[in-house]
Amino acid sequence: MEPNNKIKITVITIYAASLVAFGFIVDTPYEIAAGLLRILTRPDTLVTDYIGVGGMGAAFVNSGLLTLMFIFILYKLKLNYSGVTIAALFTISGFAFFGKNIVNVWVIVLGVFVYARFQKEKFAKYVYIALFGTALSPLVTEILFSDIWSLSMRIVVSVLIGLAVGFILPPLSTFLLRAHQGFNLYNIGFTAGIIGTMFVSVFKSYGFFPESQMIWSTGNNFTIACYLAVVFISMIVAGFYLDRDSLSKLKNIFEYPGRLIEDFVFLEGIGPTLVNMGLNGIIATTYVIIVRGAINGPTLAGIFTIVGFSAFGKHCRNIIPIFIGVFLGSLTKVWAINDPAILLAALFGTCLAPIAGEFGWIYGVIAGFVHSSVVLNVGILHGGTNLYNNGFSAGLVAAFLVPVINAFRKEEVE
Amino acid sequence: MKHVNKRMCKIVDEFFTYFVDIGANNITANFKDTDDHYRLYLKSNYKTMDKKKLDQLIKYLNYPKSEEIENYYGELAGESDIDTKLTLVGLMPNR
Repeated sequence: MEPNNKIKITVITIYAASLVAFGFIVDTPYEIAAGLLRILTRPDTLVTDYIGVGGMGAAFVNSGLLTLMFIFILYKLKLNYSGVTIAALFTISGFAFFGKNIVNVWVIVLGVFVYARFQKEKFAKYVYIALFGTALSPLVTEILFSDIWSLSMRIVVSVLIGLAVGFILPPLSTFLLRAHQGFNLYNIGFTAGIIGTMFVSVFKSYGFFPESQMIWSTGNNFTIACYLAVVFISMIVAGFYLDRDSLSKLKNIFEYPGRLIEDFVFLEGIGPTLVNMGLNGIIATTYVIIVRGAINGPTLAGIFTIVGFSAFGKHCRNIIPIFIGVFLGSLTKVWAINDPAILLAALFGTCLAPIAGEFGWIYGVIAGFVHSSVVLNVGILHGGTNLYNNGFSAGLVAAFLVPVINAFRKEEVE
Repeated sequence: MKHVNKRMCKIVDEFFTYFVDIGANNITANFKDTDDHYRLYLKSNYKTMDKKKLDQLIKYLNYPKSEEIENYYGELAGESDIDTKLTLVGLMPNR
């Protein structure tokens, strides 16, 4: 392991532990236990806000515990922390507020583990695919908590489906990178969308229809924003403490296009990366507040995912054009800027940031504008079983836009 | 590592893209497969080589060996004609 790996592990562990601590500050242990029970015993298809289901304390404890579990697994695998590690862990933290929990993720992880064994390779080689791949956890719980068969039958079928999903994720996710050439940062979202669509199509053929839902809590903006402010400001302070040259290195970060793979932890160091993460966290939270959106489970997932990928491709120069694109869409299209789906489209749509970084901000605005329409139309394909619905949409948008933009750009070069 | 030969081709592809990007019109590559390692020798002229691009090349090529990232993102190497992904070249070889 690298000598400064301990610093990175310590920093990320502190942030994961802070989620648990905050949970116990806002709720009593009894409320948290009761809330966790509600979270763990129901389907998780989009959109299931765990703050709405189990309360704020239980949702934060679920997020912190799940992140700590994965930190422990990565520690046992003796992996060096890189940008993708931070992106994967913050994605876990975020989605543990809306769809992933301390029980439903493990079957898919086990499926990836079985694939590694089948290939006679180390699980460590596939661990990031396993972490991101937990996006399809609702596919497991949708069957487990349905009423179609006996409980034993549902357990067997849901476990088999989870294993199958985990098994096919590695080859498929690697292959599908080519479709968007790394311009969609949430590649597993694209992959999970394809897998979810296939499985749900088969389900429907046998008369089983996964049901989308809309559990969307409101009224917690002040409390959660206070927690986020402390976290993001502390990231900026820690970044400058760990590296006095963080400011000049941050300017370097702003110069990278962000296309996969742009690992800021390796390229510029953990200090400026933390500053970038804190800054983007503040930008994302401010956006939600300005458009009068709710800070809840799903938007927390969006904010944390932006923060995580700020170690792996995102910075303010390439995410702001996406926000502008979605905002402009709200002025001309039939929905409002703070509708739940559009709020999520703006936050998660920043996975198209590499388009702005590589081709310029105008193309980033166009990408955001197009994405905000496409994302509303693709969820029905996988019946809400893919938590990274925006990653699915962004894969389609990138695969569509990049060749077109590239054709124009080639003419400009000539 | 699976598909080693294909990955070697992708590494050469990435270097060629980089050289062409800096204005090369005369590039030579020599590839040798020995018992215990591969050797790749590349020679190129260039038109515009600023220090920033050279520093970036060195930085990318010094990316530590990372099988878990290589395994997932390795497919991106040699796939784009827009820019290079020399990070992938840096993380593939054993040192």
